[in-house]
Amino acid sequence: MTTIVKAKVVGNQAVRPEVFLLTLETPEIAAAARPGQFVMLKVAPGPDPLLARPFSVHGTDGGKLLILYQVRGKGTRLLAEAEPGLELTLWGPQGRGFDLGGAKRPILVAGGMGMAPLAFAAKVLEERAIPSLFLNGGANQESIRGLEDRLEAMLVAGIERGSVERLRSFFAAKTKAAETSFSGAPRIILGTSTEDGSFGHKGLVTDLLEESLSASQDLQPDLVLSCGPLPMLKAVARICAKQKVASQVSLEAPMACGVGACQGCVQPAAGGGYLRVCQEGPVLDAAQVDWERV
Amino acid sequence: MSGKPDMRVSLGGLELKNPVIAASGTFGYGREYSPFFDPARLGGLVVKGISLKPREGNPPPRIAETAGGMLNAIGLANLGVEAFIAEKLPWLARQDTAVVVNLYAESVDEFGELAGRLAGLDGVAALELNVSCPNVKAGGMAFGCDPGPVGQVTQAAVEAAGDTPVWVKLTPNVADPVPVALAAAQAGARAVCLINTLLGMAIDARTRKPVLANVFGGLSGPAIKPVGLRMVWQVRGTLAAQHPGVDLVGMGGIASGVDAAEYMLAGATAVQVGTASFSRPDACLMIAQELGQFCAEESVARVSDLTGGLNT
Repeated sequence: MTTIVKAKVVGNQAVRPEVFLLTLETPEIAAAARPGQFVMLKVAPGPDPLLARPFSVHGTDGGKLLILYQVRGKGTRLLAEAEPGLELTLWGPQGRGFDLGGAKRPILVAGGMGMAPLAFAAKVLEERAIPSLFLNGGANQESIRGLEDRLEAMLVAGIERGSVERLRSFFAAKTKAAETSFSGAPRIILGTSTEDGSFGHKGLVTDLLEESLSASQDLQPDLVLSCGPLPMLKAVARICAKQKVASQVSLEAPMACGVGACQGCVQPAAGGGYLRVCQEGPVLDAAQVDWERV
Repeated sequence: MSGKPDMRVSLGGLELKNPVIAASGTFGYGREYSPFFDPARLGGLVVKGISLKPREGNPPPRIAETAGGMLNAIGLANLGVEAFIAEKLPWLARQDTAVVVNLYAESVDEFGELAGRLAGLDGVAALELNVSCPNVKAGGMAFGCDPGPVGQVTQAAVEAAGDTPVWVKLTPNVADPVPVALAAAQAGARAVCLINTLLGMAIDARTRKPVLANVFGGLSGPAIKPVGLRMVWQVRGTLAAQHPGVDLVGMGGIASGVDAAEYMLAGATAVQVGTASFSRPDACLMIAQELGQFCAEESVARVSDLTGGLNT
């Protein structure tokens, strides 16, 4: 049985303007949650807002569940006002998360709030001593700073910032290092892009992905995980298909039931028909999606 | 009052444990909600509309939240009757609750064919005809707005269904629901269910685009409850006078036990709960429990005593 829980808010702070870190005391859900999964959260009782909303799991901390969210509409504006002590109704975790099973040299590509689930994935990869490349994109320095602070906070050994050249040679070096014992040095290297060039590479995060994949190496990245705006995901899927690298994308859609019943949250499936984001997703193999129709 | 209220109701040829039924389109094929509660605790459940052939449904976005409600334009996505029978019905047949299969078809003959295929199968307690779904460009709307076609469709299904009761779910998108309800009753429907969703639309002023890919969608949720109550009340008198054996199922915006009681007072024998399941997946169960509490508080010995009990 999936329990619908009332969880106490233990924290709800801004990490940058309009982005908040919500911490809920909910041991059952925290124990079960995996990167890429989501919870359904009713931000206020009663009919306004009416529907429970999906929030991706940003992480867990003992019995606590972390949700990183951006204020976008009425519901999230209301949520931003939630004070510690308030009880919120939620259930989950729901959906299919990232499959991190076979990855040896993964790249994580985050755009904007895509940081929320990918920081959780980075944490799990770090725990498994798998070196990973984390590419993060945003509009400007201001918009990415708080999010990258969250990534750093999630990791035991922190992050190392790297240039594209460093990214290229990263896996060779780190894989060798991983064969020896864990040294305490960062296993996650972070490359950043901003559209206005105020921090990191000037341009799109997918530029960094292309650079990282294009260099011919003995040790090619073997999996790309991504979450972010749809145009970014489309570009990631295209680049990965071209480079023949496995790619998992986390998709969004306006959602109602969150349990696979209403068929409201669909995205087009390769080969015709639709996939339910809440059930077959939210994380899908990029090849499952008909990107032309998305 | 001593003792618990008797929550059983007789509805359209079925004996139900309680008057709360999960509404079609919001409860999948039933099993999706089984992680949250045992469907045996409901009076019944209505599965998603089933058509002869599988339907992919509309392109996304398919849903939009509105003030006190939501719009949907799913487009009756379903796996088709044969896959339903093979893959979904065996599980449903094992559940200790009344399973009602909602039917969607685009012609009178198709309604008959579908009813004939499903009637009498183990696990199918009743059939509910969707003559009202406003989402499909060619289809439901044309039947549901007009007494003539509603009568033809109902008759075709009733004849094909044999002993299996046929219910007809009506659209609110009509000037007067009474002639349509009477046509269904006249043609042999055992129950008339109302209301389905109200045709609506949402616009994003920033992008200057409709929110739904289908442009129009069906409005549901608490916002439509007054319309549903009005229509149940409106139909009740004439139906009771001319077809006393035909029951009413009330729906539209029910989110609490008191909401359910209101529909029963307006004339409904039972209620269906839809959009509330999207606020929390065990909403149907909570509403059934709250309705029992309401009866206890109001010293109502039998929940069926509420039906038509409105003081005017």
